[in-house]
Amino acid sequence: MELSGETWLMLGRTIGAGLALGLGGIGAAVGMGMAAGQANEGMMRQPAQQSALLRTMLLGQAVGSSPSIFALVIGLLILFVPINLEPAGGNVFAALVGAGLAIGLGGLGGGAGCGFPAGAACDGGARNPRRLSKVMQGMFAGQAVTQSPCIFATVVAFVLLFFKCEPGTDLAAMGLCLGAGLAVGASAFGPGVGSGQAAGGAVQGMGRWPASHTSTFRMMLIGQGTCQTPAIFGALVAFLMLFVLDEVQNDIVGFAKVFGAGIAVGFGGLGPGIGSGMAGSSACLAAAARPDKGGLIMRTMLTGQAVSQSTAIYALIIGLLLVYLF
Amino acid sequence: MLSTMLQTVVSQTAEAASQAAAITGADLRAAGALIGAGICMGFGAIGPGVGEGFAAGKACEAIGRAPENAGLLTRTMLIGQAVSESTGIYSLVVALLMLFMFGK
Repeated sequence: MELSGETWLMLGRTIGAGLALGLGGIGAAVGMGMAAGQANEGMMRQPAQQSALLRTMLLGQAVGSSPSIFALVIGLLILFVPINLEPAGGNVFAALVGAGLAIGLGGLGGGAGCGFPAGAACDGGARNPRRLSKVMQGMFAGQAVTQSPCIFATVVAFVLLFFKCEPGTDLAAMGLCLGAGLAVGASAFGPGVGSGQAAGGAVQGMGRWPASHTSTFRMMLIGQGTCQTPAIFGALVAFLMLFVLDEVQNDIVGFAKVFGAGIAVGFGGLGPGIGSGMAGSSACLAAAARPDKGGLIMRTMLTGQAVSQSTAIYALIIGLLLVYLF
Repeated sequence: MLSTMLQTVVSQTAEAASQAAAITGADLRAAGALIGAGICMGFGAIGPGVGEGFAAGKACEAIGRAPENAGLLTRTMLIGQAVSESTGIYSLVVALLMLFMFGK
């Protein structure tokens, strides 16, 4: 079916904006609800601390809502930014839908993940009101690491939106745009939720055992670091697809191989991210309770997380094989 | 008997399909806007639903254990749910935008 340029453009705009705003708000809303629930629990225990806990909840929710703000901005840009191309074709469609996929999927993990430390900070503030400011420091640091995959996704979405809208219909370019969007977007989910879980466990530990604050903080950052590796793989493959690859054959095989690589690296990070996050959460909580055993717990956590990451490495290998060997 | 009935149905459907107008570009653009609005609001409704439900559940639990603070706890629940609702409002606004600006 021959589609006119204007049709390709409008289809890309509407479906891209739909994906960006539809998927991008899910994580933030779930995370914000989690924080509200934990805040309520904290107020039940300590009604006298209600204003401090409310403030903590609102601050935590504000950081957690940033992926949905990115999604709103990019969604509106996808829908309305002027694109003057003669003739527009499948490339513009793929670039716009790719941008929508990138920020839509990318916002899922960061938003949901940020709810865990926000809720744990409210819980910690209720148990130890005098240590609330230190607990909030831990919350902000944990949330910042959790947000980084969403930042990668935003950058890729901007690149797709402003640099990859080209005239024509080349299956290779379409595959690269959609594949890059999937790679960076889907790979942000597992690491986002996992890093958030790890931060949640650590902040809970900081709240209950304030004496071991510094060692718990260090363990949180290390545990979150391992969780982030699938997101790094996803961002790497997305940048490869956007900036390095130009030897992709311009037919259905070329489209299939880069699209398949995007799926592999994108969804391959889901499980390892969440699993490493669960490990990090329990490890941080255990190390907060027993700081004298911190070294042993950290070694166990890193070994366990490394095994958990194995399938993400397999996914990266398959993705690179698809792109370079076929 | 059954086979003749089936044959009539099939031939009537084929006739109707061949008489239907071909899909124009304008139709596809409107269709894209309509599907986009559906994706936007459909998936956008998931998050606030789950998040606000979790907050409500925790509020019920808290009130069950400390009923004297019911007013405070309900107020906090509503504030938290309002923040969580904001992403749903973004999705609603953009879905309505797409429907009415591009869906005709």
